[in-house]
Amino acid sequence: MDNGAANPIIVCENVKKWFGDFQALRGVTTSVAEGEVVVVIGPSGSGKSTFIRCINRLEQHQEGRIVVAGIELTSDVRNIERIRSEVGMVFQQFNLFPHLTVMQNITLAQVWVRKRSRSDAEERAMALLERVGIPEQAAKYPGQLSGGQQQRVAIARSLAMDPQIMLFDEPTSALDPEMIKEVLEVMQELAGTGMTIVAVTHEMGFAREVANRIVLFDEGQIVEEGPPSEFFANPRHPRTKMFLSQILSH
Amino acid sequence: MNSESFDLPLPPEPPPKALRIGWLDWARNNLFNSVFNGTLTVILTAGMLLLILGVLRFVFSPDRRWEVMPPNAANYVVEAYPRDDLFNMWLSLWIIAALAGVSTASWGMGGQVSVIKVVAAVRAIGATALVVGVLSLWSPAGSATQTVLVWGGVVLFGLGAGAMRLVREEREVSVARVLAIVGALLVGLVWYMPLESGTTWPLTITALVVVAFHWVGKLVGQWLSAQLMKRVITVLWVLSFPVIYLHIQRNPSLVWAEVTPWLPWAGLLIAVGPVVIWVVSRAGREQAAGVNFLLGAVAIYSWVIQWPMAIRVLFLLLTLFSLATPTFAASPRARRAFYWTWLAGGLCTLYFFLMGIGSTDLATRGHFLGGINLTILLAVGGTALSFPLGVMLALGRTSSMPIFRILSIVYIEVVRGVPLITVLFFGDKVIPRFLPPGLDFAGEAKALLAITAFSAAYLAENVRGGLQAVSKGQTEASRALGMTTAQMTMLITLPQALRVVIPALVGQAIALFKDTSLVAIIGLADFLRVARDIVPNQPDSLGSILENLLLAALVYWIFAFSFSRASLRLEKRLGVGTR
Amino acid sequence: MANRPSLASPTRPPLWRNATFLKWAAQIGVLFGVLALGSVLVGEAMANMRAQGLALDWDLLTDPPGIQLGEGIFIKPSTGLEAFYTGAVNMLRVALSGIVAATVVGVIVGIARLSSNWLASRLASVFVESFRNIPVLVQVVFWFFFASTFFPVLEEDSSGPIPGVLLVSRKGVSFAWPFPQETFWQWGAFLVAGLLTARWAYRTRMRRAEELGEDTRPGTWALLAFLAWAVVGWFAHPLAGAIGWLFMLLAASVGAIPVLAYQVILALISLYLGWRWINRFLDSRRSPAGLAKLTDDDYFRMILAGALGAGGAAVLMLLPAATEVGTNVVQYLLEFCDQKFEFLRSGAPLAIGTPSVDVPGRFPQIASTGLTMTPSFFGIWMGVTLYTASFIAEIVRGGILSVPKGQSEAGYALGLRRGQLLRMVILPQAFRVILPPLGNQYLNLSKNTSLGIAVAFPEMVQVGQTMFNQTGDTIQVILIWMAFYLSISLLISVLINYYNRRTQLVER
Ligand SMILES: Nc1ncnc2c1ncn2[C@@H]1O[C@H](COP(=O)(O)OP(=O)(O)OP(=O)(O)O)[C@@H](O)[C@H]1O
Ligand SMILES: [Mg+2]
Repeated sequence: MDNGAANPIIVCENVKKWFGDFQALRGVTTSVAEGEVVVVIGPSGSGKSTFIRCINRLEQHQEGRIVVAGIELTSDVRNIERIRSEVGMVFQQFNLFPHLTVMQNITLAQVWVRKRSRSDAEERAMALLERVGIPEQAAKYPGQLSGGQQQRVAIARSLAMDPQIMLFDEPTSALDPEMIKEVLEVMQELAGTGMTIVAVTHEMGFAREVANRIVLFDEGQIVEEGPPSEFFANPRHPRTKMFLSQILSH
Repeated sequence: MNSESFDLPLPPEPPPKALRIGWLDWARNNLFNSVFNGTLTVILTAGMLLLILGVLRFVFSPDRRWEVMPPNAANYVVEAYPRDDLFNMWLSLWIIAALAGVSTASWGMGGQVSVIKVVAAVRAIGATALVVGVLSLWSPAGSATQTVLVWGGVVLFGLGAGAMRLVREEREVSVARVLAIVGALLVGLVWYMPLESGTTWPLTITALVVVAFHWVGKLVGQWLSAQLMKRVITVLWVLSFPVIYLHIQRNPSLVWAEVTPWLPWAGLLIAVGPVVIWVVSRAGREQAAGVNFLLGAVAIYSWVIQWPMAIRVLFLLLTLFSLATPTFAASPRARRAFYWTWLAGGLCTLYFFLMGIGSTDLATRGHFLGGINLTILLAVGGTALSFPLGVMLALGRTSSMPIFRILSIVYIEVVRGVPLITVLFFGDKVIPRFLPPGLDFAGEAKALLAITAFSAAYLAENVRGGLQAVSKGQTEASRALGMTTAQMTMLITLPQALRVVIPALVGQAIALFKDTSLVAIIGLADFLRVARDIVPNQPDSLGSILENLLLAALVYWIFAFSFSRASLRLEKRLGVGTR
Repeated sequence: MANRPSLASPTRPPLWRNATFLKWAAQIGVLFGVLALGSVLVGEAMANMRAQGLALDWDLLTDPPGIQLGEGIFIKPSTGLEAFYTGAVNMLRVALSGIVAATVVGVIVGIARLSSNWLASRLASVFVESFRNIPVLVQVVFWFFFASTFFPVLEEDSSGPIPGVLLVSRKGVSFAWPFPQETFWQWGAFLVAGLLTARWAYRTRMRRAEELGEDTRPGTWALLAFLAWAVVGWFAHPLAGAIGWLFMLLAASVGAIPVLAYQVILALISLYLGWRWINRFLDSRRSPAGLAKLTDDDYFRMILAGALGAGGAAVLMLLPAATEVGTNVVQYLLEFCDQKFEFLRSGAPLAIGTPSVDVPGRFPQIASTGLTMTPSFFGIWMGVTLYTASFIAEIVRGGILSVPKGQSEAGYALGLRRGQLLRMVILPQAFRVILPPLGNQYLNLSKNTSLGIAVAFPEMVQVGQTMFNQTGDTIQVILIWMAFYLSISLLISVLINYYNRRTQLVER
């Protein structure tokens, strides 16, 4: 976890972003090392989603620089798609394709973007479905699955692209408690394999156990960051103390 | 979740038997349940009887000339088509019949209908006939008609009412069987109608073809997978219309000397296509873009220096294929599919082109399309051609690029703001102004273009509704997976959007079918014009205009009504199918 | 390892790989293509027309067209403009009367479809299914031939089914109708005053009702106020003729100001509007932190707004004729109003005309005959009315069904009767759902009046076709059609949007 600066795979320098006249990111500077697990927390509207969506250019930052896997994010058409297939993303609302079966959901991008043959893609999809624990659901449509199962399919769909980095944007917020566990287990297993992960989540248990580093956002900037042991035990910034007291009080 | 049973004291009971209420009770509940409703019922009944009586007096008046219709059957359906070549028309009909038969085998015919409903329909028909028959006693109808109506009504009503008591509630019968019986009755009727000679047998054959191909479809279905079967049939349907209208009905004769200068080149172009696709799919992004740029430049240049038209079109097609290659044909399997699609598409284009330029062999008075045949061509062709254009406009209107958006909006709103007849006049009078002097398209082609341009604007608005219904999460997920905009549109957004708007699209197609009647105003011999001008102005059928217009109304009504009913059923089935 | 980024030199993508550049290049390319295609086609058309001895000018509006129209204000128009004016008025006659009739029929049928009376609902569905599934053109042609071949022949002593009120014959249908006389406008001034007073009375009574908490009968008061003005005005209207002087004065002053002054003022207004729009837009993107980053779209909008403003100003300054036409129209309108008033001009404002079709197809402006429909008018009017009514019925039914069931249950629980429930609870709510598609149907009806051409009814399209058959000026006629129908469409959509916004505001 100390290799944060040694071998960075994501580098952000003074990243700024506006929505109209509202500034959502006010200069974010940080870097993520290969194999590191970073958990982003912060109050609602603090710019967490905006930040990680900038990393795979679902949002365009307007000032500063972002370099992901050695490729700088600019409006270069060649880089954008290359970045996106190196960075997987899992959404709060799953965003599975409702008109395709689970199997088709996972193979579609492999075939059209990664240019794999259909049989290879299906083999890979089956392996991943087994890894997330729902191989028997392959022929069903997303609408027929529970929320937890849908989210696991979404994870499998991203992993099928063999990304170097996985982004999670509150993957468990739309789920019932029972299902939260099954998704967190998958994420934990993934972290164990050495995948670089940036996750926005309010699951403090997960943050404590799995994260190498915790980053607190407020008002579009990083207030404090550090390994979980330090971050939770003796937070330095008063804003951190207040935030922690709020979320840990219930 | 919890499957344990606790042995509670109350076991489930069967629901109470449905109460059979007598018709007096029914009338009290539905017609006389309040003073206002009672009065309304009396007034409406009186008004309805008077109206029916008026209609009967009109219909059976000795002034009416219904007898002019059967001898004019061919005029209504094909108008000026040379009677010596009518076999072509029958062949077209049989092709459609065969495809319809095979399709019923593949898609099924709407499943089951309860026997009670069928019997109730028979009873209702009987009751109506009886009422009309009794009223016809006060009209100038012949006594034979009166007898048939009254006694036919009594018999049908009796049969229906009797059967109603015998059949059990849950008995069902397949829709296909009911339709088959109705069809058989119609075929029987054909043998007793004073139609033009030489029509009874071909019509009978048509019915037989439907049945025969239904069985063919079932047989083949045992060997082929259902999905493949449906795909093949869809392709056949799509191809059938150009084949019918450009080849079978038009019966072109090709002058080989005219095409030999460029035909080898066209063949070469088609043969080279797969090579281009292979090169582009294997090249890097920049090289592929370079090749595409080159192809596009040559394609545009070919219009400037006016190569033979077929070559120009094929080149344009090849450019489009090559443009789509990097996104849609990169994996080996997709590339193979692309080769075949290119070869088949290129050959079809060439074939239709050859058929199109050959002058027709028919001994016609200038045009060979007319009657219901033309109406169907305009409706089907307009719908099919406006679909891609409409989808493109809808994509433009929802695009994030302002210039595309503005162009689409201007087109859509201008076209939707003016009546169809002005667009038809535009096509008829202004298109020739754009062409080199002396050159003009056939009126039918111009009308088809105008109808397509008109319908596309309305279709675009429908599709836009569907596109806006696709959630933003869908596009974000596809972007996050690295899809290009084209892939996202073709694989994610459009399929979802189109599924939502199928009912609206069917409604649009029905509206278009009704709107084709406007071509009568610009002088095409469509069904309405045959019924309004051509038949009533023949010396031996003067004074039959109202009768003819009623026939037209009836025929249009049957088409539109049955389509809208079918679309209602489709809507219900879709509603059930998607979650 | 290898992919260690070097942040020293910021990378800029080459132009041909820059997404923003490519986006704009594609758009401008397509725009250019469309413009090029358009100019090639127009050039070809001009060349073709020159070869045929035609020119793309507007002489057809001023030249005598040498045509005769079936009915209308100018049956033998002396200029093309008069011909089109006649066509436009005829079209509006059909459209407005059709809209009123179709709404009445449609609402009745739509409610009947939901009636608890089995027969009524059945007949209503038969009506809907019959008329909406037959092409409107077939219906139009049918009613025309029905009127002109099936109605009774007109004879010397024909007086119709209801003598003195309704006359039906092959030459047309005529019924008694009150026609405005030359003093109508003077009376109209009193009616307007009556409306304003009624509104004021209604508001004050409503306010009193809220203060006192009792029923102050605002509706009755308003009605009485209006009737009082109407009755007084019926006798006192010659006094209102004095209003004419006002119009005279205004017309004179409009004419007195030179055109250049108008041009300069209007151009300045145009420039100011563009500038103000850009300014407001920038303000909306400004925050205490400074101006936000602007997107391509933002720049595009600002450039467009600026170009529109500057372009408007340029057109106004370079084409004095446009401004002159504008002032002339205003002056003409003012003078027209002036003529409608004359101090102490007397006579009854309305006179009842009795049915007669002596003068077939005569357009009754101030007529002793009743309101007369020629067979052509009857055909197009019946056709579009019944066709549209069948769609309106479905819209009304859908709108009523869209009101949640809980609403009617609550209404019944309060003791409302079915009729009251419908009028006071259901219809006001359904109205919001009904309005947008209803507006669409009004638009469709207006466009369908163009089918009058099939029954020789001289509306815009028929007049236009007659014109270009004479002159060959197809392109000009089609441009006139487009301008006419697009303005009508625009007008109706603006009205609908206005009402829509109002009803939605109430909701909040
Ligand atoms: N597309 C957008 N347009 C305008 N404002 C936006 C947009 N997206 C986000 N914002 C604003 O930017 C701010 C940061 O949003 P963001 O979604 O990043 O917050 P967050 O930290 O993820 O909050 P949450 O925990 O609620 O998800 C919010 O105030 C939000 O209103
Ligand atoms: Mg968020």
